[in-house]
Formats: sequence, structure tokens, C-alpha cells
Amino acid sequence: MLLTDSAAAEPSKAAERGGERARGQRRGLMGLLLGLAVLALLAVTRMSAPQSVAAGMSDSAKDFVTLAVSVLIESLPFVFLGIFLSVVVQVWLPDGFLLRHLPRRGVLRRFAVSLIGVLVPVCECGNVPLTRGLIMKGLTVAEAMTFLLAAPILNPITIITTYQAFGWDNGILVSRIAGGFLIANLIGWIYSRHPRQDTLLTSQFQAACASEGEHHAAAGKLQRSVRLFTKETSAMMPALFIGCAIAGAIQVGIPRDVLVTLGTNPVWSVLALMVLAFVVSICSNVDAFFVLSFGATFLPGAIVAFLVFGPMIDIKMLVLMRTTFTTRTLVQITSVVALCSAALGLAVNYVA
Amino acid sequence: MSLIGIVATVWLGITGQLGLYIHPRYFAFSIIMAVVAAAVVIVSFALSPGDEHAGHDHEAETGHKRFWAGASSVVIAASAVALLVLPPTTLTTTTLEQRDLNGSAAALTEEASAKLTGGDASKFSVKDWASLLRQGAGVEFYAGKKAQLTGFVTPDQDDPENVFYVARFVVSHCVVDAQPVGVPVYRPGWQDEFPLDSWVGVSGGLTANPSVASSEGIVIIPEVVAAVDQPQQPYVY
Repeated sequence: MLLTDSAAAEPSKAAERGGERARGQRRGLMGLLLGLAVLALLAVTRMSAPQSVAAGMSDSAKDFVTLAVSVLIESLPFVFLGIFLSVVVQVWLPDGFLLRHLPRRGVLRRFAVSLIGVLVPVCECGNVPLTRGLIMKGLTVAEAMTFLLAAPILNPITIITTYQAFGWDNGILVSRIAGGFLIANLIGWIYSRHPRQDTLLTSQFQAACASEGEHHAAAGKLQRSVRLFTKETSAMMPALFIGCAIAGAIQVGIPRDVLVTLGTNPVWSVLALMVLAFVVSICSNVDAFFVLSFGATFLPGAIVAFLVFGPMIDIKMLVLMRTTFTTRTLVQITSVVALCSAALGLAVNYVA
Repeated sequence: MSLIGIVATVWLGITGQLGLYIHPRYFAFSIIMAVVAAAVVIVSFALSPGDEHAGHDHEAETGHKRFWAGASSVVIAASAVALLVLPPTTLTTTTLEQRDLNGSAAALTEEASAKLTGGDASKFSVKDWASLLRQGAGVEFYAGKKAQLTGFVTPDQDDPENVFYVARFVVSHCVVDAQPVGVPVYRPGWQDEFPLDSWVGVSGGLTANPSVASSEGIVIIPEVVAAVDQPQQPYVY
């Protein structure tokens, strides 16, 4: 599996190469046709599906499907974009480019990493594949986590939409940005003290990182990009689909009134909106507009908690992050982020 | 799996039904990403999968593997049914009941009220009227103005016998954040004429609500209520 092995085997293989290439080309063509056939099959299924299939379904079941599909269609392009960026980082950036340009000291380095989000305005679901790419490229787990948590908040689109929704009212915008930044760096700091950072990652992802080195010499960059894209999509898609389904199901299942009635109490309102943020799994680019609709009922601290907690942790994100981090790690992150957001929300409520 | 999502997105885009799920400003982005991803996925079929397996297949026990293979085919099948077989639909009253009709300040007050008070009343949408009603202008304000609205039927919680709403969902990003808005219509016995969630066109003047039980101050007293087809673009933005 090591590079030296394959290099040593090279000369003896050279003779077979000619015949192999012809065979490879034929196989490639077959594959291409197979891919097109699958595409056509799916397209035909979609076009020929009768309108009447849903007739027997109850309204809740229909709404469940509508909501789940909506979350999926909404996040799919962002996930693709995230994977493309991740591929760019992994394949096209020269080795060590990223590491060279970051400050060396731990704390400053994490500050810088959390600001990368400003350059890549993808929202949280696209950040998971990008984070995986960054880890493969040599960032430590703690640093990558800092990026993952900070990027959805410290990102130009999110800041603009939050400003449009709230302006400077009650310091919501400022608390969101500062809070997100601090919490992300806190998590990064905590995990940077962790002695064995690999153990935070799932074994599948560790294996993926380890096997990453193999292809380096063998294939061209384009081929490697395509392969990496396939690998990342097959890791992300099941998680995304399942996450969307759960988000849809919970929205149909939990009546919102329960949450809204809690809205006016300084403590409960914070918790209620955090639960809501967790449940709706809405994209950080637009969650400000969403929560604006609760602005009349809820206290500003609760809104800040929603806007800080939601982008970092929600159902869809947890399922996506599970592809990379172990359950134990996720439970720890979730509790720290939740506690910090709650504290932040309560503080804002106290001041306001 | 990507292909399922891609085919669904592009098909919805081509048949103009993408609006059932997301805000129009994301149409182009979604479709471009889908098409690019489709190209890459198809090309990936062409790369022989043989040499992929070298790295990670050694340790996985077979039982474990079979379980995951089974689980993932269930997920694939379920998502194929949801995305490719079921016809796309709109949200129903079930969701509306969960989401507090006209409860959303954001959906309603964004429109400048100056535009509304001066504008041509017959062109107002459900959203416009709902914003006006929320601002609480008196009955005099509505005198002589006629509303012409299309929306789906949903009952007034306080007086379901006599009052229904012509309602629409307002979408600011995707259907998940859809907020219902509606204008109350006074029509005793409407339930015998129109089923829940069916689409109607209503026109008539607005005046004080004759219903005692309902909490709405101003309602439409309809001259005409007629069943119509669901519009191509059921949500408002």
C-alpha cells in the first residue's frame, strides 16, 4: 500500500500496460453507458410515475414527505458545492499550502481557521465534506472542528441575512457573531488538549484518510477528483437522506404551539428556541428570516441562542457529522455548544 | 443515490415544480449544481471500480457488512419512492394548524404598508390583505375596496361553521419555513360546498365580521366563491 511498493513494481508492469489500457478503455466505455442507463432508468421512473399513487396517504404522511424532500432539495446543491470545494482543497491545492499560510501558534491558528468561513460561503451542510477535506489535508481534528462550528456563522451570507432580519436590534447580530466565534474556539481549545485526536474520528473516516495517500502517484488529478467526489458523495448521501427524513418526521410530529407557549419566560424561551433550532435543521444562511417570525413572541436572548446553536448543531448536522466523528465526540460537542448557547442567551436576556 | 436526488431536482426544474419546495432564487443554483454533479457521477461509472477496494475491505466482518448493505438498500428504496414515485404536493391544513395562521410577523410586515394603502386594491394578494388586516385599520378603511383572492380553504378555529380562511403559505427559503397567511371569509355552511385544502377563488368586499364566535374583526363577505384548480405556483414569496 505504500508508495514505494507501487514504484518498485512499476518496471515489471510496463510490458502488460499496453494490453491493459485497451481493456481499461473498453471497461470505461461500458461504465459510462451503464451510468447513462441508470440515469435514464431513474428519469423514466420519475416521468411515468402516476399522479394517483399518493391518493391513499393521510395528510400527515404527505406533509412528512413534502417537508423531508424540501429539506433535501434545499441542501443538496450546498452539499455538492461543499464536496467540490473539498475536492479542490484535497487534490488541487499544493501540499502544505494551507498549513504554510496559517499562523503556527495553536490559539491564533484556530482564530484564523475559524475565519476561513468568510472565504467559502457555504452553509453548514456543505461544510461537513469540506471539513473532511481539511482533515485529510493535515489540519488537526481540533482545528477542523473549530472551522466546522464557526464557518456557518462567520460567513458573509449569514451575516448579511441576519443584518437584514434584525439590524442592530438588541445586539442580536453582534452576539451571534461573537458568540459563534467564541464557542467554536472554545471547542477547538478543549479538543486541542485531547492527547489522541484520531480517536475522535470514526474508524471508516480514519481508513479513508489512510487510504488517501495511495492514489497520489498512480492517477491523474482529474481522475482522482472524480474518484474522491464519488467517495465523498457515497459517504454523505445516506446521512443526508436520513437526516432529512428525521427532520421532516419531527416537524410533523411535534406541535409548534408547545414551543411557542414557552416563549415569554426568560429561561424557558431560550430552551424552547434551542429545541426548535435543533428540530427544524434550517440552513444558517436563512435561519434569521425564519426566526424573525418568532421575534414578537420570544425574547432576544432566545433568538440569539437559536441563531448560535442552530447552525452548529441540529438533527441533519449530527447525522452528517456522524460520518466523520464518533458518537461520543458528538455528544460532548453538542452538550458544550448547548450549554454555551444557553448561557449566552440567558446573558442577553438579562442585559436586554 | 446522488443520481436519485439529481434526477428529481432536474425533473422538478424542467416541469416547473421546483417551486413546490424551494424559493425561486435558488432554482438556477440547484439545477446547475445538479447537472455538474450528474456529469461527475456518470464519469465516475467509467472509472473501473476494481482498484478502489484495495484499501479498506480487509477487516470488515461479513455479518456487519451485510447488515449495512441491507440498511442502505432500504434507505435507497425509500428515497427513490419519496423522490421519484410520489407526485410532488403542497403542504396541507395539518401543517397549517401547527404553524399559527397569520402568526408570523416576518411574513406579513415586510411589505411597505404605504404601497398597500395607496395601491389598487383589486390586485392585492392574500399576503397583502393579511398584512393590512394585521395592522388593524378600521372598517371605514375597507369601505368600497374589493378583494379578489385565490387560496386554499382552511377553517377558522374559533368559528369553523361560518368562517373559513383563504390561505397561502409564504416561503422565504424552502417549504420547511413556510408560514401560512390567510384572509377570513364569512360564509355559513361553507363546509358543504368546499372540502378542506381545496383551492377557491373568492371575491367580495370587506366589512365587520358578523360572526360572534370568531376572533377576526374584519372579514370578506363574498359575492362569489368558486372552486378553482391549484395554481402552478401555490406558494407566495
